[in-house]
Amino acid sequence: MSGKPPPDEALHIQDLHITVHDGAAVAVRGITLTVGAGEIVGLVGESGSGKTLACRAALGVLPAGCAVSEGTISFGGQDVTDLSRRGWERLYGTAVGAVFQDPASYLNPNLTVGGQLAEVLRVKQRMARADAHRKTVELFAAVGLHDPERVFHQIPAELSGGMLQRVMIAIAISCDPRLLIADEATTALDVTIQAEIIELLKDLRDQRNLAVLFVSHDLALIRELCDRVVVFYAGEAVETGPVEEIIDRPRHPYTQALLRVASVGDFQRRELRVIPGQPPQMGEDVVGCRFAGRCPAAIDACRSGPIDLLRLGPGHQARCVRAGDPELEAAAEAELAAR
Amino acid sequence: MTAATTDPATTGPTQPPLLSLEGVDVVLGRGWRANHVLSEVDLKIWPGEIVGLVGETGSGKTTLARTVVGLIRPRKGRVTFHGAQISGLGRTARRRERRSGHVQLVFQDPLRSLDPDLTVAQIVGEGLKIRGGLDRAEIERRAASALAKVGLDPTLLHRTPGQISGGQRQRVSIARALAVDPELLFCDEPVSALDASNRNYILRLLGELRDNLGLPIVIISHDLSSLAGIADRVVVLYRGRIVEDGPVAQVFTAPRHPYTALLMASAPSVQHDRPLTVHQLRRTAADPAAPSAAGACVFAARCPFAVDACAVQPALEPVAEAGADRWSAACHRADEWQPLARERAAQAAR
Repeated sequence: MSGKPPPDEALHIQDLHITVHDGAAVAVRGITLTVGAGEIVGLVGESGSGKTLACRAALGVLPAGCAVSEGTISFGGQDVTDLSRRGWERLYGTAVGAVFQDPASYLNPNLTVGGQLAEVLRVKQRMARADAHRKTVELFAAVGLHDPERVFHQIPAELSGGMLQRVMIAIAISCDPRLLIADEATTALDVTIQAEIIELLKDLRDQRNLAVLFVSHDLALIRELCDRVVVFYAGEAVETGPVEEIIDRPRHPYTQALLRVASVGDFQRRELRVIPGQPPQMGEDVVGCRFAGRCPAAIDACRSGPIDLLRLGPGHQARCVRAGDPELEAAAEAELAAR
Repeated sequence: MTAATTDPATTGPTQPPLLSLEGVDVVLGRGWRANHVLSEVDLKIWPGEIVGLVGETGSGKTTLARTVVGLIRPRKGRVTFHGAQISGLGRTARRRERRSGHVQLVFQDPLRSLDPDLTVAQIVGEGLKIRGGLDRAEIERRAASALAKVGLDPTLLHRTPGQISGGQRQRVSIARALAVDPELLFCDEPVSALDASNRNYILRLLGELRDNLGLPIVIISHDLSSLAGIADRVVVLYRGRIVEDGPVAQVFTAPRHPYTALLMASAPSVQHDRPLTVHQLRRTAADPAAPSAAGACVFAARCPFAVDACAVQPALEPVAEAGADRWSAACHRADEWQPLARERAAQAAR
């Protein structure tokens, strides 16, 4: 957790704090996470939990008024926390690629999609025009676009949302980055297309040893794709661990609540559960656990002081004073059995 | 709230449907730009039921909702509400019908469908103001009562949409629709912009509105598993045609159309026990060529089970099964493809 990160880590974020409104409020409070080479890590949390901000900090594109106040971000051992704009330019494409929710708004509507990818190759890798064309067609085929020669000459308006997202992924991986950051990349797509994009990301990981940081508000989707998951709540990582472990044995009451509201694919009639209450306002200081106000298991110890991540198993940590409490464990087991 | 939702006494086949679409065709644009958005849509909504309408982008879900409220005129077919035809009305009659507020729409993105300059109270009261005939005090009273029905705190009355959260905004949209006392509510993707907890909250609210007010609701959504928690009946649209229509429990247990099965297999889930995987339901290069002539089944090009008979679009036929109640599917091989799917490889070939 400390010292120099090993070089096989595609991304390492250490104790990251992000302030918003020109330093008036703290939105992200001490996030530590690592994405190893060839690993897919999911970030999950409600809207406003700080997952997108953490993602944008890792891409060096924080919105105006936001700043990293503490902590470090590094790619494969290289510290990028205070990198200059020009330094970032060199990393885009070659060290890190990104895909966002709405692919159509990141492409120029007047240019062919092939031309837009070829331009990246010509600028970043100084390829000749013919080579860039050939490589573009290869990349389009690699992301599962049918008839890539034809797609090359089409403009964004001629392609469907799923095809555009494939084009965006092709652009993101065109210069062989080690890390791909996908922020709600499938949220706007139809379920059948979403399933195809999820498979594509898995294939890319297998073929290129690509590391992926996948942000979503849907735990069900994280379960389909990721190896490890970090659960965000009100700017803090409240639980982290291997995805199977988190789904089968969630230890933080917030993760348990998220699981209760997530999609369960058996299509049976069930009570639709909600998480009562609201998260604390951004920047609001809460003594102790930030989830205590909504937590069914909160006790006095939860509100008495800062709560550390508790180590519960191999790679599994939760920020909860009652995480090892046998009474809670029994209740969680009973609920799982009923699921 | 979730169990025993349809009371057969109020929704039985003896009861006439509240809303009925018969053979509705909608064409948008004209000339070379003409786009056949809906084809031969037959749909009935009975009083007091919640119907889930699913389908992919461009399948005509939103066009269907807009046709029902009279924003789009069908080229063919009839739309009747309470037995009175509401399609093909003249201009004045159509406006009167719209202003009556019998059918109300709730839109997908409340940030774009609510006027950012109006307060919550003004937004909710606007429909009543346009309809006319009520004084200001009465409009305010009804707006407050609509907000109470969706569980919104009256302190939010004087905020603008930009000052409240996403879940609250969607509740304002629903209150706006409820203010004019509709007899049918059409919700267009009411939860797709919300996170899981807020999504369930809104769906529960819609369920309570149905239980307390007896209000029939059509929910357009692409999230099948949350529909399963609330809808009584599900209608699946593909490229402007209804391919399956039936009770949720039956459709989601044994879908009769391969597209319904594909939708179910594609839905993300925290559990991993699916009857069929997406690979068993997707066409691969190894499958024989599907009929592609004009007039072929709309799903044939994506269907791994397509045969020569699929060169003709199948009609929506009642499912032949004991206990099948108002369940129909449009597939020539509705009873044949399931064993074929199970024989296909569950994993993608590497």
